[in-house]
Amino acid sequence: MNMTLNRLPSITWYWLKMNNGSLEGVDPAEGLAIKDQVPANVSKSTLSMAELPDQPTGMGKDMTTLVTESKPQVQAYISDRDKEASDPVLLNFDYETGKRAVNAVYLKAQRGSTMTVVEDFSSAKDAEGFSAVQTRYEVEKGATLKLVQIQRLGSGYTFLNDIGGRVDDQGRIEMIHLVLDGGHTYLGVQSDLAGYASSLKADIGYRVKGDGTLDINYFANHTGKKTTCDIDAKGVLRDNAKKVFRGTIDLKKGSSGSVGNEKEDVLMMDDTVRNQTLPVILCTEEDVVGNHGATIGRLDESTLFYLESRGMDKESVYEMMADARVASVVHLIDNQAIRENVENYLAQNLDKNLNG
Amino acid sequence: MAEKTYVEDIDRSMYDFRYEEKDAYRIEEGLDPAIVEQISKEKNDPRWMHDFRMKSLEIYNHIQMPDWGPSIEGLDMAHIATYVRPNTKMANDWDSVPEEIKDTFERLGIPQAERKSLAGVGAQYDSELVYHNVQDFAEKLGVVYSDIESALRGPYADMIRDHFMKLVPPTDHKFAALHGAVWSGGSFVYVPEGVHLEIPLQSYFRLNAKGAGQFEHTLIIVEDNAYLHFIEGCSAPKYNVANLHAGCVELFVGKNSTLRYSTIENWSKNMYNLNTKRALVKEGGKIEWVSGSFGSHVSYLYPMSVLAGRGASSEFTGVTFAGKGQNLDTGCKVVHNAPDTTSVVNTRSISKSGGISTFRSAVVINPQAKNSKSSTSCQSLMLDSESRSDTIPAMDVKTQQADVGHEAKIGRISDDAVFYLMSRGLPEDDARALIVSGFADNVGKELPLEYAVEMNNLIRLEMKGTNG
Repeated sequence: MNMTLNRLPSITWYWLKMNNGSLEGVDPAEGLAIKDQVPANVSKSTLSMAELPDQPTGMGKDMTTLVTESKPQVQAYISDRDKEASDPVLLNFDYETGKRAVNAVYLKAQRGSTMTVVEDFSSAKDAEGFSAVQTRYEVEKGATLKLVQIQRLGSGYTFLNDIGGRVDDQGRIEMIHLVLDGGHTYLGVQSDLAGYASSLKADIGYRVKGDGTLDINYFANHTGKKTTCDIDAKGVLRDNAKKVFRGTIDLKKGSSGSVGNEKEDVLMMDDTVRNQTLPVILCTEEDVVGNHGATIGRLDESTLFYLESRGMDKESVYEMMADARVASVVHLIDNQAIRENVENYLAQNLDKNLNG
Repeated sequence: MAEKTYVEDIDRSMYDFRYEEKDAYRIEEGLDPAIVEQISKEKNDPRWMHDFRMKSLEIYNHIQMPDWGPSIEGLDMAHIATYVRPNTKMANDWDSVPEEIKDTFERLGIPQAERKSLAGVGAQYDSELVYHNVQDFAEKLGVVYSDIESALRGPYADMIRDHFMKLVPPTDHKFAALHGAVWSGGSFVYVPEGVHLEIPLQSYFRLNAKGAGQFEHTLIIVEDNAYLHFIEGCSAPKYNVANLHAGCVELFVGKNSTLRYSTIENWSKNMYNLNTKRALVKEGGKIEWVSGSFGSHVSYLYPMSVLAGRGASSEFTGVTFAGKGQNLDTGCKVVHNAPDTTSVVNTRSISKSGGISTFRSAVVINPQAKNSKSSTSCQSLMLDSESRSDTIPAMDVKTQQADVGHEAKIGRISDDAVFYLMSRGLPEDDARALIVSGFADNVGKELPLEYAVEMNNLIRLEMKGTNG
C-alpha cells in the first residue's frame, strides 16, 4: 500500500511539501517478539486490534490500516487502580537486519495509578529493515502515564512510531521521545486532553545524521476544560539530514481555561541539512492561551565566541553543544539505570565524533 | 453581573452606499474563450496580450481550486461578470468625472487626500480607471504614474511586456490564471534611478457593480537608489450576491531602493478577495508591506517578498479584523534567495462575533542565502468563543548559516495587563480600550497620519463593563 502519514490537521500550501509524509509499497508484516519486564502492580495481557478502543493516532488512518491488516497480537499493560508501579515496564524491540515487523501496544493507567513504560527500539548500527509500532494509551481519572521512547536503530531502518491516546479528568501523560539513531523515522502522536485539568508534557530530543530523515506530527487536542500541554522539541541535524516538525495545539470550543505551549530549538550542524518547522495553533475558545516559538539555525555567536576563547575549537564546541541539546532531554528520564544507559550511548558517540 | 467588554463591528456605513449601475458596457456573466476574446477586443490589446489572456484561460481551466484555505464554494464564476466598463472615459481632473462617480470618491475622501497629502492618485471604478493624475513636481522628477492600458501602448510598452506577470505567472495558482485571462485596469508606476518621492502615490479601487469581478493589475518598477510609498485602498457596497476581487500586484525594487506598499482593504462582506501581491527585491533593496485587512467575506491574501539580491530585506506589518460572516486567511511569504538577506514579520489579528482569522505564512531560506536572518511574530486576540483564530506558520531552512526565529501567541485580553494599567490609575474600561487599540497599533504607526486615523475609525472600540 501507498501511505499518507503524519498529515497536518490544518493543511497549508502544497508547494511547501510539508502537509504530510508519504511511503510507497508498504505491506503488512508479522509482529516482532517483544522482550518485556513487567513490575508489580502492572498486569500484562494480549488483545486483538478489534478489542482496542477506537482512538485516532498522530500518524493517521493509513497507519491504523497497516497495523490492522498485519493482525498483530496487541501487547497490553494495565496498571492497577490507585497503585504506583515501583519500576518501569520495559519493552525491548530488538530488530535484526533485513526484517520487517509491525507491532501494537496498548497501555492503560487505571484510575489513580502511576505507570512508567520504556519502549527501547534498537538494532545493529548498520542494520536495514522496516518496522512499525502503534502504541495506544488511556489515562484514567487522576492517573499518570509516563512513556519513554528510545530509538537506536540502524541507518538502513525505516521506522514508523505511531501513538494515540486519551487523558481523563486530572490525568497526565508525560512522553519523552529520544530519536538518537535511525534511517527514516516517522513519529506521529495524538493526545486527546478530554478530561477536566488533564495534561500533556512532551519532550522530544533528536539527532539526525547521514542521509537520515525525521518526520514528526505532534497533535495536542484540547477538548476538556483547564487542560494544559507543553511540547518541547530540541534537536540536531548534521550531514545531509532532513527533518520536518509539525506541531499542532488545537484549543477547541469548550476547553476554557486551557493553556498550550510548544517550542522547538533546532541546531543545524552542516550546510547540507534541511529543516522544516510548522508550529500550528488552532483556537475556537476565547478563554485560553496558546504560545509557540521556534529558533532554527546555527549556534549563537556569543556562545561560540565564549567557548572558543576558553580554548575549544569550533568543531568541538559544536559537538559539545549538539550533545548537550539531546542530553538535556535524556536527563528528564526518572529511572537512573535507563538514563545512564542512554548517557553512555551518547558519550561513546561524542567521543567518536571528537576523536575520530 | 458586569457586562462583557464589547468591541464594535467595523463601521462600514461610509462604504456601503451605492449608485444604480449605468454601465456603458457589461460583459455577460461566466468565463469562456468568447468572453476573454471580447475583453481583449474591448481593451484593444496588443497581439501578445491577447495570446497571453487565452493561454491564461487554458491554464485556469486546468488548475484545481485550493482546498487548504477558507471555502470558496459560494463563488460561482458562471455568475460573475468579469468586465464592467463605467459610462465615462478616464479623466485627469475631477470635474470631468461623472457626478455620481465623483461623488463616490468624494465620500471616500480621495480628492481631499490628493489635495492634502498625495503626489498622485488613480481611481478605478469597476473595471476601468476613471481618474488618474500625478502632481507636476513628481512628473518633473521623471516619475511615471499612469493607467496600465495607456502604458501598454506608450513608450513603456516594452518594459511592461518584460515585466507583466513575470513575478506572478498565471501558473502560480488558479486565480492568478484567472487574472491573466480577464485583467482590466490598474496602475503602472515607474520611479527613475536616484529619485526619492517623499509624498505617497495612491490608487483607490471601487467595485460598484453587483455580481461583478475586479481584476486590476498594479505594476511598479522602482529603479536603483530610489524611494516610493504607494498606498492602495479598496471598498465596495454590499450586495446579496458574490463579488470577486482577483487583482495582481507586481513590484520590482531596484538596488538600494525602498518601496513601501500600504493597503487598507475594506471590501464589503459579500466579496471574495483572492488577491496576489509579490515583490522582487534586488541587492540592498527593501520592501515594506503595511497591510490592514478589515473587509471581505473571504480573503486569501499573502504578499510575497522574493529577496533576490545580497543584503535585500523585507518587513511585513499587518493587522486583520474578522467579524461576523468573515473568513480572512491572511499572512505573507518570504523567500530568501541571496546572502545577507533579512526579513521581519509582525502581525496582529482580532476575531469576534463568529469571525475566522487565520495567519498563514511561509519563510523559505534557500541554500545560497548564507547569513540570512528572519524573525516572525504573530499575535491573535479572541474576543468571544463564537469566533476562531488559527496560526499556521511554516519555515523551511536549507542552509546552516541562517538564523530563523518565530513566536506566536493566541489569547484574550490579559487580566494582568488590565490590572497593571488600573494600578496606574486608569479606570478598567479605559484600560481595556487602551489594550485593544494598542494591540493593532503595529500597523497604525506605520501609516501616514490620515490613514492611521481612518484605520482607527475602522476599529472603533466601545468598552462597557468589566469582563474581558
